[in-house]
Amino acid sequence: MISRRKFVKHSMQAAAGSSLLLSALQSCKQPAAYPATLVGPNARLGHMLRSGKFEEPSEGSNADVLIIGGGIAGLSAARYLKKYTDNFILLELGDETGGNAIAGSNAITAYPWGAHYLPLPGNNDPELIAFLREANVITGYANSLPVYNEYHLCFDPKERLYINNFWQEGITPREGVPEKDRHEIERFLALMHDYKDQRGSDGREAFAIPVALSSQDKKYIALDAISMEQFLAQNGFTSPYLRWYVNYCCADDFGSSLTDTSAWAGIHYFASRKGKAANASSDTVLTWPEGNYWLVKQLRKDLEKYIKTNTLVYAVDATNSGVTVLYFDAAANKTKKITAQAAVLATPQYVNQRLLNPNLKRTLDYSAFQYAPWMVANITLDASLDERKGEKLCWDNVIYGSDSLGYVNATHQQIGFHNSHTVITYYKPLPGRDVKKLREQAYRSTIEDWKNIALQDLRKPHRQIENHIKQFDAWVWGHGMIKPVPGFITGETRAQTSMAIQDKIYFAHSDMSGISIFEEAFYQGHIAIRKILERNLLKV
Amino acid sequence: MHKQENKVGSFQWLLLISVFVVATCGLIYELVAGTLASYLLGDSVTQFSTIIGTYLFAMGIGSYLSRFLKSNLLGWFISIELMVGMVGGFSAGILFILFEQVIYFRVILYTLVVLTGTLVGLELPLLMRILKDRIEFSDLVSRIFTFDYIGALFASLLFPLLFIPYLGLLRTSFFFGFLNVVVAWIVAYRFRNEIRRYSQLKWSAIVCLLLLAAGFILSEKLTAIAESLTYPDKVVYARSSPYQRIVLTRSAMDWRLFLNGNLQFSSADEYRYHEALVHPGLAQMKEPKHVLVLGGGDGMAVREILKYTSIETITLVDLDKVMTDLFQSNTALMKLNEHALRSPKVRVINTDAFVWIREHQKTFDFIVVDFPDPSNYSLGKLYTMSFYRELYRILAPQGCMVIQSTSPYVAKKSFWIIDSTLRQAGFLTTPYHCYVPSFGEWGFVLGYKEGLSQQFNFPKDLRFVNGETVTQMESFPPDMRVAESPYNTLNNQVLVNTFEKEWADYTR
Ligand SMILES: Cc1cc2nc3c(=O)[nH]c(=O)nc-3n(C[C@H](O)[C@H](O)[C@H](O)COP(=O)(O)OP(=O)(O)OC[C@H]3O[C@@H](n4cnc5c(N)ncnc54)[C@H](O)[C@@H]3O)c2cc1C
Repeated sequence: MISRRKFVKHSMQAAAGSSLLLSALQSCKQPAAYPATLVGPNARLGHMLRSGKFEEPSEGSNADVLIIGGGIAGLSAARYLKKYTDNFILLELGDETGGNAIAGSNAITAYPWGAHYLPLPGNNDPELIAFLREANVITGYANSLPVYNEYHLCFDPKERLYINNFWQEGITPREGVPEKDRHEIERFLALMHDYKDQRGSDGREAFAIPVALSSQDKKYIALDAISMEQFLAQNGFTSPYLRWYVNYCCADDFGSSLTDTSAWAGIHYFASRKGKAANASSDTVLTWPEGNYWLVKQLRKDLEKYIKTNTLVYAVDATNSGVTVLYFDAAANKTKKITAQAAVLATPQYVNQRLLNPNLKRTLDYSAFQYAPWMVANITLDASLDERKGEKLCWDNVIYGSDSLGYVNATHQQIGFHNSHTVITYYKPLPGRDVKKLREQAYRSTIEDWKNIALQDLRKPHRQIENHIKQFDAWVWGHGMIKPVPGFITGETRAQTSMAIQDKIYFAHSDMSGISIFEEAFYQGHIAIRKILERNLLKV
Repeated sequence: MHKQENKVGSFQWLLLISVFVVATCGLIYELVAGTLASYLLGDSVTQFSTIIGTYLFAMGIGSYLSRFLKSNLLGWFISIELMVGMVGGFSAGILFILFEQVIYFRVILYTLVVLTGTLVGLELPLLMRILKDRIEFSDLVSRIFTFDYIGALFASLLFPLLFIPYLGLLRTSFFFGFLNVVVAWIVAYRFRNEIRRYSQLKWSAIVCLLLLAAGFILSEKLTAIAESLTYPDKVVYARSSPYQRIVLTRSAMDWRLFLNGNLQFSSADEYRYHEALVHPGLAQMKEPKHVLVLGGGDGMAVREILKYTSIETITLVDLDKVMTDLFQSNTALMKLNEHALRSPKVRVINTDAFVWIREHQKTFDFIVVDFPDPSNYSLGKLYTMSFYRELYRILAPQGCMVIQSTSPYVAKKSFWIIDSTLRQAGFLTTPYHCYVPSFGEWGFVLGYKEGLSQQFNFPKDLRFVNGETVTQMESFPPDMRVAESPYNTLNNQVLVNTFEKEWADYTR
């Protein structure tokens, strides 16, 4: 009885619901207009830095250590430093800390504007594990494996790929993919798996997170000289499905594409993640409605009183006695000065280039640092999306053939009853070699342009999406992610970046790793502090 | 002379085009019937071949019957075409609505197929007779059959590729009915001078068109009507809350509550379910005071709990305010739950249980978890280890809780996943089951921290549960046992996946 009744219902829905023709006729009525805004980092202050005109500071103060930049790296530095001193300040340009891991929220949910997940970390960075324990992300150990807090592990169903008019489970292309291509994909994944277990002649992991702990064996270093595209060609990988997939992975971690990602970095994506859990499969990720902003909140939990936001640092210099830093306090509308024993610049190198007094002679080839621009859109929906066949809405939803990353559903990690209202976060790297031009183009684009780009992509799986949109906001990251172009990771420039200036000015930012991920930013942060501690610069 | 020839030409073409349309429509009706029959009755090979066979045979009957039509052939041709349009056009709609209602569904199905077939079968012979004096015979036969077969090809290609995916079955059949009638009307108009009773035909055509167009537009509504018809008894209350569709039906025998089409209880035997849910656990407790009920907005479990005089507070957390309001205000329903939700001991909270429980601190002596079965990911979260850990936290050390755990007969693996998830979350468990006629074999799991007293203090006048039934309930025959079970977590949702599969296998 039940099945028959259900069947009648289903077939009736099929009969009544799936009528494209009719809905096409109906949709002649225009979808209601909805608000759309372009949001973004503090543009006014950023512009001030570029124009470079500031008054002489009238006020001054001092501290043991000054941290500039409140992204993951800066916060990680502050968290670590707090164990040793109370006398430090963190200056952040934005309204709040977080940097690329910032989030927004509305009546329905919080949602990420940038970084949104952390794969299960391996054991290389004990400090990271310690932090995850503090934050109760790791709740204990079982069989010497970490037990993760279930609320923070990505709920099932995790990810799906829209391919051949069908939502398949998982994102390696499979549905309707010819056997030959499937074999090639398998062969590729098996090769990547091999790299995962490999160690170099120096005994180090071939591909490690943090990057700094990776093997220096020539065999692996050589891979940084070629592009991922060349690597695929050299190994006889030609399947368009595989190429799309690997390109997608490069975009996911670096915002780059096959042609401008080094093979070393491309392989690193697959071969470096070795985290295991007692209570989850190793390909699980940690995620939250607000993305990595949740981690930001945990990081800065006991740091609030050291943090000054809305402050633009515009000059950094070393003196005989220490460091002087000049900044503009936007709230007070005043320039100010701080002197400290040491400073950590947890800011990207393209910013440092402007901050550091040229007399300090930091001989760094800044042009080697290339950043991929990104556009992130948060789309508020007031009804469930119309769906194609296959897997139901997942956390991560990817569209085959597209050069976007697809979208992430912000309410996926909500434990409460799912009603149909949600926010989806659409990620779009802007690929291409000429990043400067791309960036200018991106800054010129209007919200309408971004809307068209996003919706054109999203309409493929969700024909009716526009009927459900309540709000469309976009954010442009001009310098979204450092690009590991061939030669960058193993190159001279990157090696020089971490060299302190006169033992007083230290550096900590994910771009120094050549790979912009949470783990690298976190690592750079506490390593910089450790160097300061080694120099005995603190009166502890 | 020239003009005359032209006229014969257009006359002939119009009729041949209508052959084409008739053939297309005829085949479409046949395909619609076949598809519907295989949707509804299963076994598509049998359905399609018997329907095609019946249809072709009926066409034969039609051809035979055509000899009895002697005069006014054009008039007949047009009337028949109107009839084909109506019968064929409405066939899918009729079959949909009647499917759940009648035992003799097949009789109706084949009657419709025979009727359509006969009418279509009448048309070709009629047409040949109409045209026989105007076209040379060999030409006539060749042309008529050519158009007939082209129409068939056209229909059989477009049906699966275009019409079913984009229009759906119901609209497809209305659409072709409409087309049929339009052609009939054009023919009638063109030959209005040659046929008797043109205006009568015209008005019939208009009425048919209006009806078919209405059917086309209302197809979606039709599905709603069909929905209300899928309930065996009279629907006395139907409402969609933000979370679910609540339908209450009533027959001479009982009241029934359906949520999203799934039976929640029948008043005839719900006492079995609710007694089994509450008493095996609660009757073992010494002086229970504070009880929590999650789900169970119908107040039936609360009714059972109130039978214990030591109870001081009952907190009921149910997402759906429409549900709890209904059972707090409707006289007939309050009779069923004996005004339980209006008791001063009861506090009703309408919010999500998972969200609520994470923020709740005080402990309870007894907890009843009566959620709908884990049929989707949202519900599945309420059966995870994380959720059970939260329950563990708010259960008093001597406390006990019970979980409705779907059918251990139909969804055996699911049942044991719930048990193993509870144990993984730290509970000691006692699974048990009983028979509820309107549900079948149904399962529950008791969870507790320190062992239970095994001393039962049942309230008076229970109709189902006593010491003896409890002992029986705890024994599981081999066909309800499994060797080992995984446990359900937010990041694997094994329960939902297992449950879906088990029920699908059962109801296939
Ligand atoms: C769209 C997008 C998606 C991403 N997704 C992920 C992801 O899912 N997972 C992941 O691990 N990583 C992701 N990332 C990478 C992310 O960048 C890193 O994980 C990490 O957040 C970088 O932290 P950081 O501290 O190195 O740099 P930043 O976040 O760049 O921090 C630098 C900080 O310095 C501040 N600052 C700059 N100039 C000044 C100044 N003059 N004065 C004062 N303050 C200043 C900035 O406001 C900023 O807060 C993503 C990045 C982007 C752009």
